[in-house]
Amino acid sequence: MIEVDDKKITWSEHMTVSSLLKNLEDVESCAVVRLNGRLVSSPDFSETKIPDNSRIQLLPLVAGG
Amino acid sequence: MEQIHLKEIKSVSYEKAEIKKGYTDQSLRVNLDSNDIIINPIQEKIKNKFIGGKGYDLWLMWNAVSGDTKWNDPENAICISSGPLGGTPGYPGGGKSIVTSISPLTGAPIDSNVGGYFGPYKKFSGFDVIQVDGKAKENTIVLIDGIENKIKIFEAKDLPTDSYELSKVLTRHFDETKPVNVSVVTAGPGAAHTFFGCLNFSWWDAGRKMVRYKQAGRGGIGTVFADKKLKAIVARFGAVSMKSNNPADLDALKLVTKTHAKEIHELDPKQNRMALVGTIHLVPIMNDHDCLPVHNFKFGSHPESRVIGEEVYEHIFDKGFDGCWKGCAVACAHGVKDFSPFTGPYRGKKVFVDGPEYETVAGCGSNLGIFDAQTILEINFYCDAYGLDTISVGTSLGFVMECFENNQITKEHTGGMDLSFGSRFNALEIIHQMARGEGFGAIVGKGIRKMKEIFAKDFGADMAFMQDIGMESKGLEFSEYITKESLAQQGGYGLALKGPQHDEAWLIFLDMVHNFMPTFENKAEALHWFPMFRTWFALCGLCKLPWNDIVPEDNKNNPEPAKVVKHIGWYADFFSAVTGRKTSSDDLISMSEAVYNFQRIFNLKMGYGTRQHDALPYRAVGPVTVEEYESRQKRYDGQLKEKYGLDITGMDSTDKVAALRKKREEQYELLKDAVYERRGWNKNGIPTVKTVKRLGIDFPEVMEVLKKNGVV
Repeated sequence: MIEVDDKKITWSEHMTVSSLLKNLEDVESCAVVRLNGRLVSSPDFSETKIPDNSRIQLLPLVAGG
Repeated sequence: MEQIHLKEIKSVSYEKAEIKKGYTDQSLRVNLDSNDIIINPIQEKIKNKFIGGKGYDLWLMWNAVSGDTKWNDPENAICISSGPLGGTPGYPGGGKSIVTSISPLTGAPIDSNVGGYFGPYKKFSGFDVIQVDGKAKENTIVLIDGIENKIKIFEAKDLPTDSYELSKVLTRHFDETKPVNVSVVTAGPGAAHTFFGCLNFSWWDAGRKMVRYKQAGRGGIGTVFADKKLKAIVARFGAVSMKSNNPADLDALKLVTKTHAKEIHELDPKQNRMALVGTIHLVPIMNDHDCLPVHNFKFGSHPESRVIGEEVYEHIFDKGFDGCWKGCAVACAHGVKDFSPFTGPYRGKKVFVDGPEYETVAGCGSNLGIFDAQTILEINFYCDAYGLDTISVGTSLGFVMECFENNQITKEHTGGMDLSFGSRFNALEIIHQMARGEGFGAIVGKGIRKMKEIFAKDFGADMAFMQDIGMESKGLEFSEYITKESLAQQGGYGLALKGPQHDEAWLIFLDMVHNFMPTFENKAEALHWFPMFRTWFALCGLCKLPWNDIVPEDNKNNPEPAKVVKHIGWYADFFSAVTGRKTSSDDLISMSEAVYNFQRIFNLKMGYGTRQHDALPYRAVGPVTVEEYESRQKRYDGQLKEKYGLDITGMDSTDKVAALRKKREEQYELLKDAVYERRGWNKNGIPTVKTVKRLGIDFPEVMEVLKKNGVV
C-alpha cells in the first residue's frame, strides 16, 4: 500500500511515478512529485520506481519565481 | 554600538493624515538639493487611475523627469510606495514596498518589489508614496517619524560603510527601546561603485532579536540612492493592526485574511514547503527540467546541482519564523546564523546571512559553476552587505567567465585572476573589488551592456559573440531561468517592460512542460493576462507568492489552473474590503492594464519602448555554440527535422546551429507581432491611440509622446 496525497492506493511491483499518474485523474498539471520527501521531476517519472509503503505528494503547477 | 554622528539640518512637524480605506491620499517629497520637505495631496482622479504602489511611483516619476533625464541627474527621483492593501497584518505577503527610479543600467524606469516593514510604516506615518530627488552635498539620512509626526533630515558622519552594520546601528539609534518600530532603507559601498546597486529594506526579527533585511534588487536603484549621497531613509511607526488601514469592511477583511492564511498553513507543508525552504525547492526542479542556468546559461542542468538545492539548505537554514511582513503565513525569508565568511572584511566573524533564495543560488552558484553551498552563502552575504543585486552579479560574472574561457579576455585584463567557471575565490574577490570600486571588479560592476563595449573597444573582444552570450536585454541582466525551449518565456523576458525579470510572466512550465499554449495566439493571450495580473500586486503593495505558489487542492479541476482563479476571487474580496470599491476579478486586470501601458509609454518618453528594444541575446533563444548544440543534439536534430521539416543530411553542427537560429529568431519576431496585437499596440510595439483612450490614460503629455513617435 502507498499513500498519495493522503489517499491509500494499492502498490504493485514495478510501479513507477509515470504508471501511477496514468491511473489518477486530473494530473495533467503535475510535473513534480515528492516521493518519500524527495523531489522527482517529470523527465524522471518513467524511470523512478515507487517502493512499497511510499508516501507521495503531487505538487501543484510549478509557478516559478 | 558604534558611535555615529547625526546633525539635524531640517525638521518639520506635520499633522498626520487619517488613513481612509487604505489610503492617506498624501505624498511626501524630499528634495536633497534644497532640503525642502513638501507634502502634497493625491487627486482622486490619479488615485482611481493609478491605484497606488507602482502606479503612484510611475506617475510621480513621469512628472519629475524629462525625456533627457539620465540616472544621475538631480531630477531623477527615487519613489517608494506601498499600496492600498499594503500593511495588512496577517494577510500573506501583505507588506511589500515598490521602488522606482530611472535605472543606470537601462536608462528607463525600473521597478523593484521588496519586503520589510518600510512601506507600511511610511504609509501609516501619513504618506502613500515618497519621492526623493535632488542630490545632497553631504551624507544624508531622512527620517519619517510617524510616532512623533516629524520629518527630519540629518547630515551623517562616522557611519558604518556597509548595509549589514548600518541597518543595525540606525535601528538602535532611532528607537533603542522598541527596535520593532523602525525600518531602514540603505544601500552600501557596492551601490556607490557599480551600476547594479540594490537597496536593503529592514525589519526587526522579534524572535531572534535582530535586524533582518530584504532587497529591492533590480536595476540599480541603490546606485541612484548612493549617487544622491543618501545613506538611509528611516521610517518609524508603532503598533500595526487590521484596523490600521481603516478598511471599509473590517469583518470582510478579517474573513478573507483568515481564509487565505489558513489555506497556506494547511497546504504549504504538503506543497512547496516555502515556510521551510523558501524558494530553494526550485533548484532541483529547474535542474531536472533543463532550466537551471549553468555556465552563463549555456546549459540547463548539472549533476552537482543537488549539493546546492533544498536538501542541503533545509538543514542549514536557521529554524524560526521568517516572515518579512507581520504574520505572513508563507514566511519564506530564511537565513543562516553564525556563518563565518572565509574572505573579506568579515572574515572569521560570525554573521547572519539573509538568504539565499533561488535566484541567488542559481545566478551565483550553478551559473558560475560554483557548486558549493557555503561559497554561495558568502556571495549572498557580501552582495547584501555591499548593496549589490545578486542577480546582476551572478549573470554578469557568468558572462565574464565565458569570455575568459573563450579568450575574449585574459589574465592581463582581470588583474591576473583566473576567472574560469568554478573559480569561487576569484569570484568573491571580484565582488570585494566591486565594493571598493577597484580593479577588474569596477569594470564588471558596470553590467554586461557596458562590459561588452569595454571588452570590444579596449580588449579587442568579438562583439558579435558577446552580443549572443551576454545575458542582458534593455541593459538589465537576466534573472535565472533557461528559456531556450519556451518561446512564451522568451517573450516573458524580452517583452517585459523593465527588462528580463520574471515578475511579469513565468510561463516556462505552462509552455514547455505542459504545452498548454501551442499557438502564437495562446502565447500572446498568456503574455497579456499574466503581466497584467502580476502588475496588480505591485499596485497594491503585495507579494505574488501566496497567489500561485501555494494553490487550493481543487485547483487542478479548474479549466485554467495556472490562473488560480479561487485566489483571484479572494484578492478581489481583499481589495473590496479595504477600499470599499466593489471589485470583481476582471477589474483587477483593468486596473493593471492602464498602469502597464503607461509604463510602456514612459519607456518611449525616455527614448526606448519600441520593437527594437524588445530584442534578446540569442543565448536566450537557442544554442549559440556547437558545444551547446551537441550537448542536446538529439533534441535539436529532432526539431530541425520534425518541427521545421528540414533535411539535415550532410549538415555539420555549425550548419545546424545556423539553421536552427534562423527558425527560432523568426518565431520570436512572430511572437512579438502576436503579443503587440493582443495588447493593443502597433507593429512597432507602441500602444495605439485607441488603446490609450480605452484605458483612460490619454493625458495631454501622454498623447504628446505618442505623437512624437508617429502614433496619432
